[in-house]
Amino acid sequence: MKTMILIRLRNTVVLLLLATLLCFTLVVSAPGNVAVLIAELRSPKSTFEQIRAVEEELGLNDPIIVRYGNWLTGAMRGDLGISYKTGESIGPALASRLHVTAILVAGGACIAMLLSFALGFVGALWPGRASDVATRVIALLGASMPSFFVGALLIYGLAVELRLLPTFGDAGLTSWVMPWMTIGLLPAAVLSRVVRVGLEEAMARPFALTASAKGLSRAQTLFKHALPNIAPSYINALGAQGGAMVVGAVVVEPLFALKGVADLFLQGVLFRDFMVVQACLLIFLTSFIVLNLLVDIGMMFTDPKLRRQGANA
Amino acid sequence: MIGDLLQVNNLSVDLFTPRTALRPVDGVSYSVNSGETLAIVGESGSGKTVLNFAPLGLMPTGVVADLHGSILFDGVELIGMPESRLRAIRGGSIGTIFQDPMSALNPAIRVGRQIAEVGELHLGLTARQAEARALDLLKLVRMSDPESRIKQYPHELSGGLRQRAMIAIAIAGEPKLLVADEPTTALDVTVQAQIIALLKDIQKRLSMAIVLITHDMGVVASTASKVVVMYAGRMAEYGTAEQVLLSPRHPYTSGLIAALPVPEDPPGSQFRGLRGSPPTLGAPVPGCSFAPRCPLVLDICGKITPRMTAGAGASSTACHSVNGIRLQEVTHG
Amino acid sequence: MRALQDFIGRVRELPRASIVAIGLFVVLGVLAPYIAPHDPNAQDLLSAHTGMSWEHWLGADHLGRDTLSRLIVSARTSLVGMCLVLMIALSVGVTIGTIAGYKRGWVEEVLMRLVDVGLSMPSLIVALAVIGIFGTGYWNMILALALAWWPGSARISRAVAVGIMNRPHVEALRVLGASPSRIYFRHLLPGTIGAVLVYATADAGAVALSIATLSFLGLGIQPPTPEWGQMLVDALPYLESVPMQVILPGLVLTGVVIGFNLLGESIALNRVPAPLARRVLKARRLAAAGWGKVGR
Repeated sequence: MKTMILIRLRNTVVLLLLATLLCFTLVVSAPGNVAVLIAELRSPKSTFEQIRAVEEELGLNDPIIVRYGNWLTGAMRGDLGISYKTGESIGPALASRLHVTAILVAGGACIAMLLSFALGFVGALWPGRASDVATRVIALLGASMPSFFVGALLIYGLAVELRLLPTFGDAGLTSWVMPWMTIGLLPAAVLSRVVRVGLEEAMARPFALTASAKGLSRAQTLFKHALPNIAPSYINALGAQGGAMVVGAVVVEPLFALKGVADLFLQGVLFRDFMVVQACLLIFLTSFIVLNLLVDIGMMFTDPKLRRQGANA
Repeated sequence: MIGDLLQVNNLSVDLFTPRTALRPVDGVSYSVNSGETLAIVGESGSGKTVLNFAPLGLMPTGVVADLHGSILFDGVELIGMPESRLRAIRGGSIGTIFQDPMSALNPAIRVGRQIAEVGELHLGLTARQAEARALDLLKLVRMSDPESRIKQYPHELSGGLRQRAMIAIAIAGEPKLLVADEPTTALDVTVQAQIIALLKDIQKRLSMAIVLITHDMGVVASTASKVVVMYAGRMAEYGTAEQVLLSPRHPYTSGLIAALPVPEDPPGSQFRGLRGSPPTLGAPVPGCSFAPRCPLVLDICGKITPRMTAGAGASSTACHSVNGIRLQEVTHG
Repeated sequence: MRALQDFIGRVRELPRASIVAIGLFVVLGVLAPYIAPHDPNAQDLLSAHTGMSWEHWLGADHLGRDTLSRLIVSARTSLVGMCLVLMIALSVGVTIGTIAGYKRGWVEEVLMRLVDVGLSMPSLIVALAVIGIFGTGYWNMILALALAWWPGSARISRAVAVGIMNRPHVEALRVLGASPSRIYFRHLLPGTIGAVLVYATADAGAVALSIATLSFLGLGIQPPTPEWGQMLVDALPYLESVPMQVILPGLVLTGVVIGFNLLGESIALNRVPAPLARRVLKARRLAAAGWGKVGR
């Protein structure tokens, strides 16, 4: 088992390096002269010498490999460059925003998991009845409604009409409810289908008949026998949805005025602030890669065949 | 016989699927008592499996079974019993062994847990007690190295060991009746003999009744005290093992037995199979379903369904030729 | 021709709601300029924020523009954008995929690694990053989305290509000395296009959704060209007073995506046994009743 984890870790490091390469390439290939932008920031109408000085300062004339190395070491230290728009260092700005996005995604994931199991289980417990149809309709809607529409509807329904929740601002837990529901709805819908279809397929396999022959009821069979069999595919899907939620933050954060990493990313895109874009992209890619690693490890623990394989390896 | 543990009387099963309606069991009657082994022999599609599973409510999703007739188990009528009471019997007083132990066992749960579950459900044991009992059961089914097997997953066991685990699960609820659906078909020949011996040994210890479903005459010969021969959903012959195997009366049974290769056959000799093939199950066939393939066919065979009639000191059989037409009651099919 | 027949055959088996939704979308998109009652860009500040009226069937937005017309023309915007993105993405994807499937060896390895990297990056992030670097604008958006979408079709077409290349009659052709281009264009390409088209139609909803999301963020379709996501974000400040202006574009967009999602789900081949419907059971019992007494 340990060797398998170590192999995964090694692969993860390789992937992370590739990701940094990708981000760096993006920045370097950007059109426009960076030095001019920085110089203009510092003092409008900069002279040729001032621009040259900035070029030297940023190391723009060094060979690409050196530039990459410098950038990478800087990034690992937390120095992710300077925003072209504000002139401020990006590192600290990102650090202060990380927890916002993290809370958003984590809360959304919790809601997604709870909802998906509830819907998927109910659908599998009474197949063909009204509850099954209802869960399927809810799942379809959840997967088809754009997240910004869901958010707008929630704001209208809960905040404006019923005055249950605040529309914006940071009023503690209550101001997180709508963002969590918005970001978690689509993953909940997709995951509920994974649960329902997984359970139904498991119930069609011979071991479900054995369970029935033992005297277990349908609910007991679903819970004790079918559920363990969907764990690997659920974890896989959860990982994918986790990534989808990180992406979903790009819509949810501006909608609810949350100051997270995705919001910063959007600012960067809007103002073509390459350094910000590249820094946020690095954060995103890192989180996807780490998520993949967690999924792989999770699969190793829940799939008995993989587990034994690892133990004997 | 009256007073037997399991008495099946004129059982018929209508099966409804999304595509068809069929009658895989038509008017079957037999009985088994504790300590006896009844073998139900037939080809695939003879209805022998539905016969045993439908009354227990073990039909797959999307299939509905209507039962007619009567099945008395330990004095209680099974037909019409609500699902909740059936569940108490399934795994408790009636244990089941399935054909393919690899797919019948849950790949994601340890073997010990799958056995212990039965004890918790039917004998009211705690988890610890049930696990301890699972260990004892594994020893009873003569599994090698039971202490480590109990923690293993099904895919880590060989076919023979898996079937032993299945047997342990089936007897964990201290059943009075064991239904074994082709327990040796998926196993190697050498392992088959071991499993058969194991079943007989357990039967003696727990004084169970066994209903053994099989298409293998060899297995029948080594285990059965009574035999039911099924053809196309109907009984062809019913009697003690000696009667049916040594003096078969129905032409189908005779054909089955004659088809078995014997050591005297010179190498390269042809198979003595029955010509034609069994009908696909559907609506009940008027007359005898074996008529198209029967060497003793008469005109009446196509019109009137033969009834099971006992011979003197011999098996009962449903055949116009053998029973003599004058014994036939004229009824409508 | 075979590819088209294959495609139409599959379309026949699809859920009706899906066909209706997608059909409506296509019809509105194609005929938009002829159906829209008003000029979608005509501002009439006097009618701003009006509700449903005879003049404006679905009301007017904050600039007095007719909502119904804008909704209809948005269908065209979405449809055109979606088709452009898919055409470019599929062309690139099929080309790369079939070449990888045809050549095998290191060419395949390199190309597929590229595809894997592309597939592991979420489409929206890729599109945003490209727009962030190269700026907003219609063609920037189209190309950014195409860049995000080509790996999917590449993977599918490679898989299909490998399958086709392994078929006996293709091997025979190679042995007989058929030229590579003949094998490629006559045999390989037509087979892959069918499978890829199916995947594309299922995925088209996601493309439309991405266009709407980008427009919602202000980075996609720029005003004055109407688009559903854009309409929604414009109406958002007035959510409290005129909620319909937010709800309508959202509903229409959801409807279109539902159509494509249903299609995708039906393609996924979910062959799980379901319990017998009451009607069917009744019919079967009726048939059995005619069999006469039991045991005969």
